[in-house]
Amino acid sequence: MLADSSFWIVQILNSLQLSMLLFLLSVGLTVIFGLMNFVNLAHGSLYALGALVGFTIARATQSMWAAYLLAPVIVTAIGAVLYMLLIDRLRSAGPMKQVLVTFGLIFVLLDVQKYVWGTDQLGVTSGVPFSGSIEILGQIYPAYRLFIIAVGVAVFALLYLLLEHTRLGAEVRAGVDDPETASCLGVNVERTFFVVFLIGCALAGLAGVVAMPEFSAEAGMGVAILVPTLVVVVVGGLGSLRGALAGSLLIGTTLTFGTVFVPQFAGIIMYALLVAVLLVRPAGLFPARG
Amino acid sequence: MAHVLQFRHALALVALAALLIFWTQAGYFGMEILAEIAVFAILAMSLDLAAGYAGLVSLGHAALFGFGAYMFALFTVLWGWPASLAVVLATLATGAIALIVGAVVTRVQGVFFIVITLAIGEMGYEFFFKNRALGGDDGLSGISRLDLSAIGVDLNDPGIFALFLIVVAAITYLLLVRLLASPYGAVLTGLHDNPGRMRALGLPVRTYQTSIFAFSGALAGFAGTLSAQHTQFITPNLLHWTTSGEVLVMVILGGLGTLVGPVIGAVVLTLLRHELSNVTDYWGFWLGFFLILIVLGGKNGIVGWLAAGWNALRGARPDDDQAADEPAEGEEASDAAR
Repeated sequence: MLADSSFWIVQILNSLQLSMLLFLLSVGLTVIFGLMNFVNLAHGSLYALGALVGFTIARATQSMWAAYLLAPVIVTAIGAVLYMLLIDRLRSAGPMKQVLVTFGLIFVLLDVQKYVWGTDQLGVTSGVPFSGSIEILGQIYPAYRLFIIAVGVAVFALLYLLLEHTRLGAEVRAGVDDPETASCLGVNVERTFFVVFLIGCALAGLAGVVAMPEFSAEAGMGVAILVPTLVVVVVGGLGSLRGALAGSLLIGTTLTFGTVFVPQFAGIIMYALLVAVLLVRPAGLFPARG
Repeated sequence: MAHVLQFRHALALVALAALLIFWTQAGYFGMEILAEIAVFAILAMSLDLAAGYAGLVSLGHAALFGFGAYMFALFTVLWGWPASLAVVLATLATGAIALIVGAVVTRVQGVFFIVITLAIGEMGYEFFFKNRALGGDDGLSGISRLDLSAIGVDLNDPGIFALFLIVVAAITYLLLVRLLASPYGAVLTGLHDNPGRMRALGLPVRTYQTSIFAFSGALAGFAGTLSAQHTQFITPNLLHWTTSGEVLVMVILGGLGTLVGPVIGAVVLTLLRHELSNVTDYWGFWLGFFLILIVLGGKNGIVGWLAAGWNALRGARPDDDQAADEPAEGEEASDAAR
């Protein structure tokens, strides 16, 4: 099996595809984390929401493209409501209370999702783009997974341009670097935080709806992806795009190859990696600060 | 400060009396609930030591609880050791694991700490979930209880077992009160209020944090051995993050850093779960809802509300106890700055 080049091609592509999903989820989290030292533990629930809402839209309209467009918008709207109802109120109470509120939100959103969509795995078969297979280096591979990789790469490129070449990007970088000085210099850090939070919600929703045709949607999927996403954020280092990408690739590859070689201990290897990184570099691989 | 403690001890006494009165009335099902309350009270107190006093808010505490339960099952069911020895060794083993975990996780602070403990807790869950030798996701059954027939106590009787657990919980409370009144307890409170100042005073902050994490873990493991004896059947769900969440809600609902608060939280939440699961399948929704409500409420849980009410009745100046009751809000903010 190991000498077989087709095995390596398939597994490397699988790693890339998982890494890109993790990247879409972790990038919003890590920038919020870096900006406000606040982590939204309900981020995975928004991912599940993206998949479930996308399922409903796709079934109603018979078009995945409508789902790709609308599901992130709806998830962002829900994120905005949650932010204004809960998170914004606790700005002065400190990040710990905010984290606890988002922890409570995991339970609430999980049961709301179970109530609305049930507990079955939901999938769409009709109207999915790139549903065929494609031949790469003599190896048949599902085209849809390549589409997921392409979405991840495109989002990375867009975010890179946004961060490095726009005013918002400059404000985000300044805010991550030193929030107090940034706000002294006239940057509205609260507003920047809100905008980044919304972008994070949209990306989580996008990740969910993009993953849905391949992996189906179910209420518990948000909880399952949350922990690897948090590991990516911590391993990559807070607040940096580069860290999110590096962390996603590292964890995605570890999980994929771990599942192939030592199926029982794939998760454990990931945690061991986390602990090892923390021992050597407590701030992660590429922290934005420091 | 003294009358704050008196107020809390009075609450503890009321809680104990209520449990004992309930015990005299309870049928079989009531005894099961009482035993569950006592186990969770011990577990919640152990989390309060780390979270409420030393400021180490862990989201993976149930993993230590479940580890203790699994060690007890391993020693008694698979290796055939006597239950009394197994309780001691499982508690010590959990403490040893918590010592190692604590040495790693105390390297990071604040929100980071929450995330790491969540991840390590999930690692423990996954380990037992996939470990076929320990039953995997089917769990382990056939666990027997301590044999106290030598002193004429039959723990296989549900009523006697519930009373036994209540007594154990009460003794645990008294021992922890003693511990917190010691110089070591004073250091813990200092760590919670201002770790930076404790470091400036020359205290080895991380050593203290690691030691309390280990102690709290050992106590959680002890609660795990009791839980295994209570249900006589364990599954990896004991280690799951939802269990960690439930215990954390008990602590916060009751009042962080008050010791009696977690006990009250355990009573209220366990009763609520049994009442609500009769009328709804969505217990998690309500659990999360209560957590959000209490955090938004601003006061320090039920104990905080009761203390505020008591002060209003006495007509005391509000700032008298407030400082002692509510851990400084600024402390989390200072975590953020680091």
